Amino acid sequence: MSGVSTTRVEKRSDGLLRRSMARPEAPALIFLLALVIVLSVVADGFLGTSNFEGILAQVVVIGIIALAVNQVVLSGEIDISTGSMLGLCAMAAGTVAVAGGGLFFTLLAGVVVGAISGAVNGFLVTVARIPAIIVTLGMLYALRGVLLLVTGGDWVTGLPAETRVLGIGSAFGVSLPIIILFALFIVMELVNRHSDWGRNVLAVGGNRRASVLAGLPVGWARFWAFVLVGVAVGIASVIYIGRAGSVQTNAGTGLELQVIAAVVIGGTSISGGRGSTLAALTGAVLIGVILNGMVLLGIPGVWQDAVLGALILLAVSTDVLRRKLLGDKA
Amino acid sequence: MSQYTETSGGFLSRIKFSRELVLLGVLIAIVIVMSLLSPVFLTLGNFLNTSRYFVEIGLISLGMTLIIITSGIDLSVGSNMALVSVVVGFSFLGGVPLPLAIVLGVVAGLAAGVFNGLFVTMLDLHPLVVTLGTFALFRGLAYGFSDADAVSSFPAWFAYFGQAYFGPVPGQLIVFVVAVVAVWLLLSRTRFGRYVYAIGHNEEAARFSGVPVQRVKLALYAGTGLLVGLASVIYVSRVSTARGDAGLGLELDVIAAVVLGGASIYGGKGSIAGTVLGVLIIATLRNGLLLAGVPSTWQLFLLGVLLLVAVFLNEFFRREEG
Repeated sequence: MSGVSTTRVEKRSDGLLRRSMARPEAPALIFLLALVIVLSVVADGFLGTSNFEGILAQVVVIGIIALAVNQVVLSGEIDISTGSMLGLCAMAAGTVAVAGGGLFFTLLAGVVVGAISGAVNGFLVTVARIPAIIVTLGMLYALRGVLLLVTGGDWVTGLPAETRVLGIGSAFGVSLPIIILFALFIVMELVNRHSDWGRNVLAVGGNRRASVLAGLPVGWARFWAFVLVGVAVGIASVIYIGRAGSVQTNAGTGLELQVIAAVVIGGTSISGGRGSTLAALTGAVLIGVILNGMVLLGIPGVWQDAVLGALILLAVSTDVLRRKLLGDKA
Repeated sequence: MSQYTETSGGFLSRIKFSRELVLLGVLIAIVIVMSLLSPVFLTLGNFLNTSRYFVEIGLISLGMTLIIITSGIDLSVGSNMALVSVVVGFSFLGGVPLPLAIVLGVVAGLAAGVFNGLFVTMLDLHPLVVTLGTFALFRGLAYGFSDADAVSSFPAWFAYFGQAYFGPVPGQLIVFVVAVVAVWLLLSRTRFGRYVYAIGHNEEAARFSGVPVQRVKLALYAGTGLLVGLASVIYVSRVSTARGDAGLGLELDVIAAVVLGGASIYGGKGSIAGTVLGVLIIATLRNGLLLAGVPSTWQLFLLGVLLLVAVFLNEFFRREEG
């Protein structure tokens, strides 16, 4: 950790420009700005409040989950099980909603199922010490299997209106999902800045061995990050079913990639310890703008995965090159 | 192969800790249970028939074993398979003669592997991140090129690669046996094989000892890409269809087979014999469950759980040994 504090002191003596360029989310923000300008000129219908609101509404689910997965990545781990987890949470929440559980119990069902799944991930990573990529890859299939087993492939349809509020409601003229996303962003920013856990996550991701030696709760810091992902997926699942009005067994398929892409494109380093809450949010919005731009420019949806993959590779390579340029070997 | 026996002296503990023997026992147990569940299971015909399905997973598992021994991973194999399948199918549809289309497909698989390898070695990125990116990229290219459409208008002779029989033996089983022997020789009898283990044990030490770490890694990812290319041609020929969703979830089968076979995800340990047994166990399990009428959703779940249990037991026993 001493290395980190010295670099921080050095940076403080640098100019404002260099300091802001050293922020993890800086390249993504610049790229986002450039893309918005280009799309405003090139694509008809891009510039407008309704399109912007549409983009944001679309990225809410990715964004909320990305804020939590961001913590997992900061702690030096990874979680690629969120797609199936969203399907399972959505199914649980949807079933409760249709059974007449009301909004509170719908949300509770989603969050509890998510938290349990996340706790299983966390347990397997920290206690059983299986690498996170294997755990969450296994869970990606196991959770989808559970979902198919429990439902037998049936859909849940006909969600009562009061349980869809989080997905389609609005307050003060702004749609509720967007308010939730920004509220959670602020919460996460505060957690990262002011809580012990937020500090521990960064320390553990930055240098695991040093954290162990410093007596930090290395296991718990990562465990709670995985549980947080579950909780976030639970919340996101209620927004998801609120928007869709029904739940299919393939809900959330492929979502895990968009979430990981959002986190790393935003500027959080995949090797842990470097990143920010704003990075996850920026990444999610960037993906929303790109997907929206593809639609407006008439690029077929079948290329979506290719663009996503290319962006992930671009982001991680930029991260490596930028660290070399800045001479920051953290 | 016998890393475990070195620490313990007694004959009994030797047997207990030989992973290949344990796996063989598991395989026999599965075979017995399955043959009780289904009368057609324990027949030579069924075994040879099953082999048509596990060869694709088996071929890729060989490359994956070596990658995992170097403590790397390749998540993109399923997507690469789709890419190869689409290249073969759609270049043929676009007027390229089929033999050339097949070559193009295999080259595409190789190129995809080289792409992975270059990213891993030149940028010194963790293979997990690189292949997660290419997992999306290759699948996306496959969907994009094919416009999510399928090609199945292949001439009859193309079926040869995936449906030919030599007597009762499926052609691809022969291909697999040859590949197993070749990779086994490479890993256990050549300097390259020692390099692979050395990198997995301690990459830095290997580098300082003069092992060409980057070149070995590049060769492994490229070689795995080549194996994916071969497997994909066999697959397309077997199902007579080329499409963008080929090999969906294949990486799970492959990685599960390799870690079940005893390769440590942390590198340095693993064997071809173990992997082959791992492939056989997974194939037998899938085939048996299918014959017993267990729905495929269960299989997905079981495979996910199996992967987790296998890795856990691997690392657990390894820790016990110290």
